[in-house]
Amino acid sequence: MAPLLELRNITKQFPGVLADDRVSLTVEAGQIHALLGENGAGKSTLMHILYGLYRADAGEILLEGQPLQLHSPADAIAHGIGMIHQDFMLIPRFSVVENVVIGLQEGGPQLDLRSAAVRLSDLARQYGLAVDPEARVEHLSVGVQQRVEILKLLYRHARLLILDEPTGVLTPQETEGLFAVLRRLAAQGHAVLLITHKLHEVIDVADQVTVLRDGRVIGSLPARQSSARQLARMMVGREVTLRVDKPAQQTGPPLLQITDLRVRGDNGQPKVRGVTLTVHGGEILGLAGVDGNGQSELAEALMGLRPVEAGQVTLAKKDLTRHSPAARRASHLGYIPADRRQVGSIGPLSIAYNAVLGTLRRYTTWGGLFLNQGQIDRHARHLVNEFDVRTPSIHFEAGKLSGGNLQKVVLGRELLARPTALVVEQPTRGLDVGATEYVHRQLLAERSRGAALLLISAELEEILALSDRIAVLYQGEIMGVLTAGTQDPNSQIELLGLMMAGSPLASLSNLHTPGRSDGPHG
Amino acid sequence: MAKSHWIERRLQPTDSLLATATVTLAAIVLALLLGGLLMLPFTPHPGQAYWAIVENAFGSLRGLGFTLVKATPLILIALGTIVAWRTSFFYLGFEGTLLLGAAATVWVALRAAPQEGLAGLPGWIFFPLVIGAAFAAGGLWAGAVGFLRSRFGGNEVLVSLMTNYVAILLVNYLVSGPLRAPGDLPQTERIPETTLLPFFIPDTRAHAGFLLALLAALLVWLFLRRTPLGYELIATGFSERAARYGGIPTSQRLVLAAFLAGGLGALAGLVEVLGVQFRLMDGIAQGTGFVGVVVALLGKLNPLGSVVAAILYAGMGVGSEVLQRRAGLPSSVIFIVQSLIVLLILAGDLLRYYRFTWPFRTGRLTATARPRE
Amino acid sequence: MELSQIFTAAFVVTWLAAALGLAGPVLLASLGEIFGERSGVLNIGIEGTMLLGALASFLVTFYTGSPWLGLTGALATGVLVALLLAWMYVTVRASQVVVGIVFNTLALGLASYGYRLAMGGQTQVQKIPMFGPVYLPGLSDLPALGPILFEHSVMFYLTAALVLAAGYLLYRTRFGLNLRAVGENPRAADTAGISVVRMRYAGVLFSGATAGMAGAYLVLAQLGIFRDNIIAGRGFIALAIVIFGRWNPYLAAAAAVIFGIADALQLSLQIFQLDLPAQLLLSLPYLLTILAMSGLLGRSLSPTALMTPYTKD
Repeated sequence: MAPLLELRNITKQFPGVLADDRVSLTVEAGQIHALLGENGAGKSTLMHILYGLYRADAGEILLEGQPLQLHSPADAIAHGIGMIHQDFMLIPRFSVVENVVIGLQEGGPQLDLRSAAVRLSDLARQYGLAVDPEARVEHLSVGVQQRVEILKLLYRHARLLILDEPTGVLTPQETEGLFAVLRRLAAQGHAVLLITHKLHEVIDVADQVTVLRDGRVIGSLPARQSSARQLARMMVGREVTLRVDKPAQQTGPPLLQITDLRVRGDNGQPKVRGVTLTVHGGEILGLAGVDGNGQSELAEALMGLRPVEAGQVTLAKKDLTRHSPAARRASHLGYIPADRRQVGSIGPLSIAYNAVLGTLRRYTTWGGLFLNQGQIDRHARHLVNEFDVRTPSIHFEAGKLSGGNLQKVVLGRELLARPTALVVEQPTRGLDVGATEYVHRQLLAERSRGAALLLISAELEEILALSDRIAVLYQGEIMGVLTAGTQDPNSQIELLGLMMAGSPLASLSNLHTPGRSDGPHG
Repeated sequence: MAKSHWIERRLQPTDSLLATATVTLAAIVLALLLGGLLMLPFTPHPGQAYWAIVENAFGSLRGLGFTLVKATPLILIALGTIVAWRTSFFYLGFEGTLLLGAAATVWVALRAAPQEGLAGLPGWIFFPLVIGAAFAAGGLWAGAVGFLRSRFGGNEVLVSLMTNYVAILLVNYLVSGPLRAPGDLPQTERIPETTLLPFFIPDTRAHAGFLLALLAALLVWLFLRRTPLGYELIATGFSERAARYGGIPTSQRLVLAAFLAGGLGALAGLVEVLGVQFRLMDGIAQGTGFVGVVVALLGKLNPLGSVVAAILYAGMGVGSEVLQRRAGLPSSVIFIVQSLIVLLILAGDLLRYYRFTWPFRTGRLTATARPRE
Repeated sequence: MELSQIFTAAFVVTWLAAALGLAGPVLLASLGEIFGERSGVLNIGIEGTMLLGALASFLVTFYTGSPWLGLTGALATGVLVALLLAWMYVTVRASQVVVGIVFNTLALGLASYGYRLAMGGQTQVQKIPMFGPVYLPGLSDLPALGPILFEHSVMFYLTAALVLAAGYLLYRTRFGLNLRAVGENPRAADTAGISVVRMRYAGVLFSGATAGMAGAYLVLAQLGIFRDNIIAGRGFIALAIVIFGRWNPYLAAAAAVIFGIADALQLSLQIFQLDLPAQLLLSLPYLLTILAMSGLLGRSLSPTALMTPYTKD
């Protein structure tokens, strides 16, 4: 019998990026199949293709041996393919049963919520997904909301369920509950495709695991025969190609001190849970971690853009915890945000005006009443020259610059302010090789100048190339801090991979054996 | 898959100057053509009618005077709109601020009557005083809405629409109660002669309020273009997150924008009272607060552009009213044309999503002009 | 004068009957607007739509002599106009606020022009046949309740029926659920297979239909004439009723009655020369609406995606 789902040589090209490169994958009915990979490995693109949101450039999708054309999510669900997104597609003000039946056509124009609720309760009982059909979704915990999403798909007769990073928002207990449900689904003949970067989950729940890296399938093996270490190496264990000339340097005094910092996310859930870090002058402290583990919230709290719930932030012994963003800037704290287009710059304004964002009050005349246009332009010209921004003019709209050039504007602006400490978040995301190298050189120059740099990045290579010390953030907590270059690179990567997947450094001391290599392709 | 070769959908709308200018010009021409069609039942020569409108509005000193009088409150409302909307504060309460400004103006001006507290005040004290009072009244009125939005996240569009009615009722209360003059009509006493704005073009109705509006336009332009506060408002308007990142206290700036917008909108009431009506009564706003917003949009939210748009808008109105009196051509045609221009420009935005190449030139054009990513 | 002297039984009956009469047209307009806003579109253009509906009903009735045909004409006009507005709001994705405001000025011009064109130079006010009060044997004779509830025009009962119909449609049909889903979370609705565009067109068309009929209500059941300023902000009052009625047809009916009661009371108070600022009473509904929208009372209950154009990616 043909497998439930087969992907053959799926290829998808985006401008400048080959997101998926001849990816093949087979999912059997009754199987939990894990798709493992780092950010940017091509997992999401693949799933969007499978869900009818993108069209593949090449390759085919076979459902029970039959070729399939998917044009929309509605198409996908009609063929029994359902997807649960990271951010749930639920309507908070609607009840559970209302959320389940929206968009359905069956049963005439009249809405019969009562019989729908009965059918829903039956389904819930069958799969052990206890949920009150009448409850309003906004009153439910995240774990229960996820159950509603699953029920929504089962109600639509989905045979293949795709779950995108389903445990990122769950507590350990909720995660256990979810796994029990997934096992039951598989036992009843459904197929589950689990997209994740967490090694333990794969080993805990999956039958088969396929590892994706840089858009390619690295390997596919039965989960029971794999080990966390092996998977970690497959996921992140590449040759360290990035070589940066990093001069040895005496570190200075502690400048940026973060003590037991606690910050909540947009929905009020704790995102930074007691982070303590110290960054010294002349040092780059790399903060590694998979996206969404509290990095952005930490950075925003450091800059005063997000309220601090508890803890302290000091810069050169000065307590900044309650200061406004403007006061922090005045104290020479700099910040390069991850989103250079929406946060780091104001697209419709000129490069010149973006060059003085945050330092505007220094460029005024008449006692601060008017802008000193000449001075602003001089400053912008200086920035453009110094940081090699390729632009027809300083009056060019910043939003029309390429990513690399815009990042140079943001970087130059923050560096020209001579920061004592600089928080840098995902500084090279989406940049080409040349721009990436340039940004790295500038950050190292800043280190030589004696500034304290906190480098937040999901790119492990970048962290490894630049950092003097490396901390790993997982679910809002620091898993541990390593000193760079004290072990051989491969075992250090392995160690970091495990920490990024949620193992505290203290629990991993037995792995400190340099030079071991038992990878599947070693 | 585009079925025809000469029209292609773009990923992003083009924003080249040429595209914008073409769309705007096309919208104006199309609106004038449609207006011409509407004129046909009343006159066989729409072209002549358009020309007569221009002549009536701008061809004589008298006509020009009327045009400037009509343009004055529109300019001031448009300026208020510019300050608010550029800060992404979509205020629609200018009917209300106009009334508040008018009420405050009349109240102060009546104090300058003989035997009253401010009697005999020289003009150079009185006018700044009354301008300040009107500005503050409107500013606080609109500033309150700004406060609600920045502090509690209220919806300024709907809230400000509702405040218009409260203002209408407030004026209605004032003219039928505390400020009512003896007589049959619910209105206040006429304000003293000394408080009226002087006429600045001899033998016309053009009063100094127009100069005030011009000065305000210049100041708003300077403010937005040349001062740090103006920069901060614009930055807040473009991206509140980026502005906050840049150390700008965006909540305060929002309230400031609301205050300034309300103040400018109140000056529209001031010039109506001191230059045209000379008293407070019901119905002096009559939609000016909304037309001013439209004028600001036509002026692309630019102070100087809005002055031009307001004069043209007012001129078309004045000219068409003369034509209605003399030739029976309904002035509403011009009203329709004015609104159509804005709607067509908005609809034209859809065109910017498409790239047109003439079929007989496809070879050359598709080879050189690739869609911008 | 003592208050007890004013609030006699007879007064209260006239007062409440007048209140319901005043509530009718704005309630009718607000019913469709609820559907528009529930789908995520704030249609400020209902003020202008009401005006055009009023004109259409007047002209059709004037030429045919049939108020029923007049009502049909108003309905058709409202739908046609709404089609244009929906295209601007949903397809062009222009700012809903700007389109609504500009459309209202356009409608003002169109109505004035249309009246001139159709009625020529006739200067005296033209009257047309109207919907008279409906006499319901038994019900209309009831003491107190009869004059309050059962001596209205057919438009009033039509509006009351539409309140029930709107409630049913919104809460008891798949269409209503899907429409509300689009206004809350268009992306979620889209992934569930609902066409956001179709639902929003439907919402705007509903708002146009009832706004057009509301214009006819004023002309055919209350005034019997047409003039340029006949709507006088009632479209905006309908917007207030939608907010005050929490986007729910039944609550909107209650809100409209409260508006009507305040409105009717101030008319009576003026007659009695009472020294109470009637304007304060009149402004209460607006102040309450402002309070409801200001965020002061916690999270606003407005549809989450209201005023947000939807793009697929």
